[in-house]
Amino acid sequence: MFHNRAEALALALPAAVFAAIVFLAPVVILLAEGFRNADSWSLTAYVDFFTDPLNRTVFLRTFRLGLMVTAVSAVIGYAAAFAIVNLSPRNKGQMIGLVVLPLMISSVARTYAWIVILGRTGIVNQALQLIGLSDEPIRFLFTETAVFIGLLQLFLPLMILSLISALENMPKDAIPAARVLGANWFQVFWKVILPLTKEGLVIGGTLVFTGSLTAYITPAILGGSKVLMLETLLYQRVTVANDFVAASVIAFILIVMSFAANLLLKRLATARNKR
Amino acid sequence: MSDAPFLSLEKLTLAYGDTVAVKDLDLSIRKGELVAFLGPSGCGKTTTMRSIAGLLTPASGRISLDGADITRVSANKRSVGLVFQSYALFPHLSVFENVAFGLRLKKLPASEIETRVTAGLKSVGLSKFAARKPAELSGGQQQRVALARSMVMEPKVLLLDEPLSNLDARLRLEMRTELQRVQKETGVTMIFVTHDQGEALSLADRIVVMLNGAIEQIGTPEDIYNRPVSRFVADFVGFENIFAVEGGKLKAANGPIALSESLPPDTAGFAWRPRMVTLGSGPFQGTVRGASFSGSTREYLLDTPLGAIKAEEDAGLAAHQPGTELTFDLPVAKAARLERFG
Amino acid sequence: MTPRVFSPLVLFLVIAFLIGPFFIIVAASLSGGETLAFPPQGFSLKWVAKVFTVESFRESFAVSMFLAIGGTAMALVLGIPASYALSRYKLPFGETVRTIVSLPIIVPGIIVGLALLRYIVVPFGFNITLALFLAHTALVLPYAVRVVSASLNNLRSDIEEAAVLLGSSRAGAFFRVVMPNIRSGILAAFILGFVTSFNQVPVSLFLSGPGVRTLPIDMLSYMEITYDPSVAALSALLAFMSIGIVFLAERFLGFSRYV
Repeated sequence: MFHNRAEALALALPAAVFAAIVFLAPVVILLAEGFRNADSWSLTAYVDFFTDPLNRTVFLRTFRLGLMVTAVSAVIGYAAAFAIVNLSPRNKGQMIGLVVLPLMISSVARTYAWIVILGRTGIVNQALQLIGLSDEPIRFLFTETAVFIGLLQLFLPLMILSLISALENMPKDAIPAARVLGANWFQVFWKVILPLTKEGLVIGGTLVFTGSLTAYITPAILGGSKVLMLETLLYQRVTVANDFVAASVIAFILIVMSFAANLLLKRLATARNKR
Repeated sequence: MSDAPFLSLEKLTLAYGDTVAVKDLDLSIRKGELVAFLGPSGCGKTTTMRSIAGLLTPASGRISLDGADITRVSANKRSVGLVFQSYALFPHLSVFENVAFGLRLKKLPASEIETRVTAGLKSVGLSKFAARKPAELSGGQQQRVALARSMVMEPKVLLLDEPLSNLDARLRLEMRTELQRVQKETGVTMIFVTHDQGEALSLADRIVVMLNGAIEQIGTPEDIYNRPVSRFVADFVGFENIFAVEGGKLKAANGPIALSESLPPDTAGFAWRPRMVTLGSGPFQGTVRGASFSGSTREYLLDTPLGAIKAEEDAGLAAHQPGTELTFDLPVAKAARLERFG
Repeated sequence: MTPRVFSPLVLFLVIAFLIGPFFIIVAASLSGGETLAFPPQGFSLKWVAKVFTVESFRESFAVSMFLAIGGTAMALVLGIPASYALSRYKLPFGETVRTIVSLPIIVPGIIVGLALLRYIVVPFGFNITLALFLAHTALVLPYAVRVVSASLNNLRSDIEEAAVLLGSSRAGAFFRVVMPNIRSGILAAFILGFVTSFNQVPVSLFLSGPGVRTLPIDMLSYMEITYDPSVAALSALLAFMSIGIVFLAERFLGFSRYV
């Protein structure tokens, strides 16, 4: 540890000043705009925003989709992560590689694939018609289901990776010990695995939840203007109506939710370091 | 070895931010001396050493080396070498390049660098490893590279931070011999920091015992071992039976005990090692509570009106069984006389 | 049913769900038909070829490349000294500095883009390319600081002191003994920053102007107009590019240690 203040500041300030000017200041001004009414501070913009039923729907939908994606990815994530940690080291590395791989691919490309799969002439519709479950194409695109599937595919890897590292940090013999003491698999999960990996679950959950909340591409491509989420609503308010006040309100909601989730994450991380 | 101070610290005060680590320290070291800074962790020994190296600027006070004031001289211009506890070898450079690092910065001619590095590696017995990376060496070998790296710079003072603590018992003995040899061959002034009294006693010409950022005692190993001047030093070098003296009387558990001898006025206490306690005769009485056999000796724990007393006898003598009443003596003539008791 | 039986099936389904769409894109882009379809109608490379002939794709590819390389380089120029200060110095307000430089990762990109447009680009008359460059730099900065800090923290700081005691200046010690040892961390940060910036959409949404838009934004608007498989072909090509880069990085750097 060095103690030369001037040197330290000279090294750190350019980055801090850059982030403050390019990023922090404009964002703060934008957020402040939502609390201004003519010349005074007010919450009118927020009251107006939530009075509009469309906005309420979008807000609730965003929240609901976020929770659903998080919950479902947790269930699938546990099954997948548990399967992966029990593989031989070599296979495990390859499987982790396959889970990481999609994260490196542009989300535009990943989401675009669902148009091919879920479209009117997509595989799912072709299959349904082939086996006679349906006479005409079912509309999947521009439904909440499509957005849900798209988001799940986008963020599931983050949950799996968090849970893999949580499971690997679990005391090695905890599960056999519980089995020997007579626990069935359900009890093993509920009483041993879950409590021992809940930090990983929270970390993965936070990443998936904030990711889904602030997703733009998935609702834009798979939801269109029929299934708006907060970010696509923001884009629409700005480009269609030039409504920067509503944009500021949405921005504030998104930031508050992201921050709350990240604060929770940070608190957990420090709690773990102390131990 | 001349008597004039070669390295001297005057009224040195060192601080980390607002935390004072060393206060008003005075110390002078002669050329060619091998000095140990001994003390528990947090006593300021490493801090003092880092200030000598120039890695820490003193809050106040003066450091001079070889007649020049170096207090404000930056670390890269001091001619002080430091062997780090972790060795701090450069992981991306070969052993040869590690040792050559400082010489290259001095822009010495390539042929001279070659000669000096080769000689340096040879002197620590690592000629064969010149092309290896530090990670491919054992801990002991890495330390010898670090030693060579400092020594080829021909420093005026060589500092070593806990040089033996990371080594196993066999390597420790080897390194101890190595350091003594290097010191003898080059005559370099050496200071090493340790928390292990055994290391300090066996290696140093002089020991500086530190506590709470101040010097507790300076002396030869014999001085420190036989004549500790404070309760802390006595305890640190293995005295077990330590009593304060107040008004010419020994302060014991059940009240003061008058001493027959007349004492110098600055007597603050007495301390006895277990083997200095005479068993079987004397004015005091105690009950044997426990005994342990350690090969050549037997150690006893006595319950006495003075408090608990530890005594030691040759294992050849008959053992005293627990529960036995024994008379014993604490001979003042054998005791270490403490000047400070606090 | 024990996990032993259950696991391979779960794993197969999950991996199929995650990776499958990628193969479908590849297949669809090799279709001979005129519209997007799967299974592909015949085999042809015409859509792959078409990607290279679309003028706007070429232009926006160049923009995205410039942003990904230039923005990441700039983020490293700012981020390496900052990481060094954060890991080696007792920095006044160190936590505040760390928070400020890592905020862009938490705040949704669309908000950053909008705020930049409204309060910097418009009032100060910045051109869009510069605004995009600043936005992408800010976006990559948190990754640069995180990855470089991690490799600095894995490096003992006493080697710098050792270098200084052997006669090196402080700056010299940084370039002689710190840089060579965090080189792969910096490269990893560069790759992560490149991929992040290149694939980034929301921050660039509002920052597009005549002739200047990033490739993903261009793809989004192309998709609204045409339903031919060229976007699929482009997606597949980009995916192969990302995978290739990451594969090489993992091979030579052990990239996953840093991410």
